[in-house]
Parts: sequence; C-alpha cells; structure tokens
Amino acid sequence: MSISKPFSIVKHLFKKPMTLAFPFEALEPVTDYRGRQVLDLERCVGCGTCAWICPNEAIEIVEYNGRKYPKIHLGKCCFCGLCAEYCPSEALKMTAEAMISMFNKAEAVYGPDKLSGKAK
Amino acid sequence: MEENVLEKEIFFPTMLVPFGPQHPASGHFHAMLKCDGEQVVELIPYPGYLHRGFEKLMEYRLHVQNSMLVDRICVLDPFANEMGYANVVEKAVGVEAPEKGKFIRTIMAELGRILSHITWIGVLSMALGLDSGTRIAWGDREKIIRLNEIATGGRIYPCFFVPGGVRRGFPEGFKEKALKVLDYLEKQLNLYDNLVFQNKTVHVRLERVGVFDSKEAAALGATGPNLRACGIDTDVRRDEPYDAYPEADFKAVTMKEGDGYARALCRRGEISESISMVRQLLEKMPRGKIRIKELALAKAPVGDAHFCCESARGELCFYMVSDGTNKPYRVKVRGPSFSHTLSEFPYLVRGASIADVPAIYWSLDPCPSDMDR
Repeated sequence: MSISKPFSIVKHLFKKPMTLAFPFEALEPVTDYRGRQVLDLERCVGCGTCAWICPNEAIEIVEYNGRKYPKIHLGKCCFCGLCAEYCPSEALKMTAEAMISMFNKAEAVYGPDKLSGKAK
Repeated sequence: MEENVLEKEIFFPTMLVPFGPQHPASGHFHAMLKCDGEQVVELIPYPGYLHRGFEKLMEYRLHVQNSMLVDRICVLDPFANEMGYANVVEKAVGVEAPEKGKFIRTIMAELGRILSHITWIGVLSMALGLDSGTRIAWGDREKIIRLNEIATGGRIYPCFFVPGGVRRGFPEGFKEKALKVLDYLEKQLNLYDNLVFQNKTVHVRLERVGVFDSKEAAALGATGPNLRACGIDTDVRRDEPYDAYPEADFKAVTMKEGDGYARALCRRGEISESISMVRQLLEKMPRGKIRIKELALAKAPVGDAHFCCESARGELCFYMVSDGTNKPYRVKVRGPSFSHTLSEFPYLVRGASIADVPAIYWSLDPCPSDMDR
C-alpha cells in the first residue's frame, strides 16, 4: 500500500453528495411509477374487477352519485398495480404520487371523490 | 473432578448473552449465547420474529396475486423469489414464458443479485465496525434501486415477474442507463477492494474465523456462496439452467478456505460475474412477446411441481401442489437462509469469541425474513 493512498480521500471533498436534503428536494419519480391510484369517473363501469383481483382486499365497491365505484383503503394497498392492470375500461390508473402519509387511518380511505381528484 | 466443576460454576459461571433481535448486527434474529468468559459454548437460536405465514397465505390467493406476495419473503432479493414462483407455476401448467420475457427476468434477477450483495457489503462492514463501507455501499445500492424503479415501477418490491413472463418490457433508454450504472459499479468495486476486502481490519476479523470444510458445510445444508467458499463447485444457474441462463457465459466463483474471508471474496467475485452477465444479456436481447397473459389466471392441472433457482443467498426452492384450480393447494418454500441461520451459524459460533459472532453471522449473509417466512 502506497503512502499517498489515504490522501485519495481528498477528492471526495469536490464530489456531489449521495444524499438529498429531503423535504426541500426529492428524487423525481419515474413516469411509470406505481404510486397512488387515480380514477376516471366517466370511464369506470363499476364491474368490480379491481376489488376481485386485489391481493390485499383493499378495494370495496360503493355507491356514489347513483353509480358503482371503487373505494380504496390505501393503508392496506401494497401498490402492486394489479387493479390498474386488470381494469377493463382503463379507468383506474397508477400515478407517480408517492407522498401519501397521513396522521389518522380514516384519511387513508380514498372514496371515489378523492380518487378522481388530480394526483399531486 | 466434581468439586472442580462446582467451583468453576460458582466463580466463573456460564453467562447468557442475548444476540438480537433489536440490534443492527443481527437483523430480526434472536439468539442466546451461552458463554464461558469470552468464549461461546453454545448458541441457542430463537427464530420467529419475522414469521408472516406466507405458505398459508398463498393457499387463498390466485397465482398472479401470489407473485405480488412472494416478494416479501426476502426483502433484499425479491427478484429471486418471484423468479421461483413464476417458474413453478409455469412448470405446473406446462407452458413456458416467451423468450424475451425470460431474458428480461434473467437480467433483473442478476441485477437483484448485485443489489443483494452490495447491501451485504454494507452490513458486513457495519458488523465489523467499518462504517464508511456501510455508507458507501448503501449509497451505491440506491443506483440499482433506481434501475428497478425505471424498469418495474417499484423501488424495493418490484412485483414484476408473473407466471407467463413479465408485466412490462424495458422502457426506452433503459439499456443505456443500465450500462452506465454497471460501469459505475465496476469502478466502485475497486474502491470496495481497497476499503473493505483488502483492509487490514477485515482480514483480521474474517480470516480463519468461522471455518468449515466442504463435508461439514454440505451436511449442514449450506448452499450458494457459503458452499462454494468451501471448494464445492455448484451453481443451480449452471447445473440446471432455467430462463435465459444458458445464453449467458459465466463461471461459479469458488474458494478453498471455507472461512469468513473466503465467503466474502466469493460474493465479491459474484458481483463481477453478474455485471458481465447483465452486459451479455442486454446485448443478446431478442424481439417478440414478453408475456402470455392468460397464464397468470390459468388453472394448473392436478399434480405437483418443483423448481429450484439460485438466489443471492443460495438455493431457493418452491414446491407447489395443485388441485386443479387457479390457486395453489399447498406451497412449500425452501429458503437458503433457514440452514444458514439455524444450522450453520450455531455450529460455526461454537468455540469462537463473542466479538466474532457478528462477523460470522454476516459472513454467512443470512436474511431473517427469508428464514422465518
């Protein structure tokens, strides 16, 4: 081992850090990221395929404005994206929204009104 | 004679020292060390802190839903578990995945192996008190996690391989990004060599520590790098090739010594091999379909199927009995970490000093979540 080896550390002083200062800056999520679902109320036919395929039984079909729509319990959701994959009318889609932490459980239940809202 | 034993018990009693389950050097694994002074007399493992009952849960779910579940068996190496389950269902149904799907699976599985081994460099460094190794390795891990994210849409849990192929093809520009990351990692491997593998601390802590010969290792159920470090040239990827492994040119890295350092070098060598394999497969990538979609919900005929694959930790086997429905009747998972933690670890620790316990533990690279399932 040469004597100069320990001094190779100095070059790290001029490198960018590996980490990000989180609340102020964050990694850009990729376009096809599997984040929170978004529902197109016009397209949804209320067939219930999403509720049937969900591995965690996080989806429930509820009445809303006289039609049937999914209600998703995001606390149970594992974000596998099967609901969006098997949706026959492509009404349910995964978005890049990943920051969905909340303080109480009730807020984690996304009904059709909340689901159809725009993803952040 | 009897008096001497009694005297020893009174003045130098055997101590019980707990190891885990809440220590970074143990993972979620608990063991009691029976110590005579500094020397470990016996190790009594208490598994079960991460038992989630996957084998039972799988009986209630469709094959495609199980593919999302098996990820969780081993968090650090999810692709190997998915690979095993997708293949065992394909074997039971009797249909093979399309060629391109197989290539994508193999590439991702090899990236998963690099991911797992780099994480392991981090935890080994942590167990040996070499903190800069931990930070750098876990920082590099992020690069491969980012690749996972681009290819699959999930960071830690890809939920990517399903019976019949993969859920989506590589997005545009993935190849270039992957090659860039591989080049970077190859450069970083030199740094790991200087910082970790040729470090005096690591030499002293791992050489001639936790030694077993090939006979003992095989009898204790060792597989993967732990067995190859004893000089047994075995690799499921080469011996019983599956998916696109016959297309790749690689060799199983073997060592002779069978100590902690040999196991470390084995894994170090495997990272290089995996990098070269991913490069080869990305070049040879065929065109065509990536998935037979019907297979995800297909009914498997009455009977059973067995499939073994090489995970980062060793041989991972799935045995599935089917009763003719689209859910398995019974699934048995043989995880590599079960024998690493519950048979090899207590055997190797016997007679070692307390300070060597974390070094031996992480040189075996067990995964507590894979052990308990």
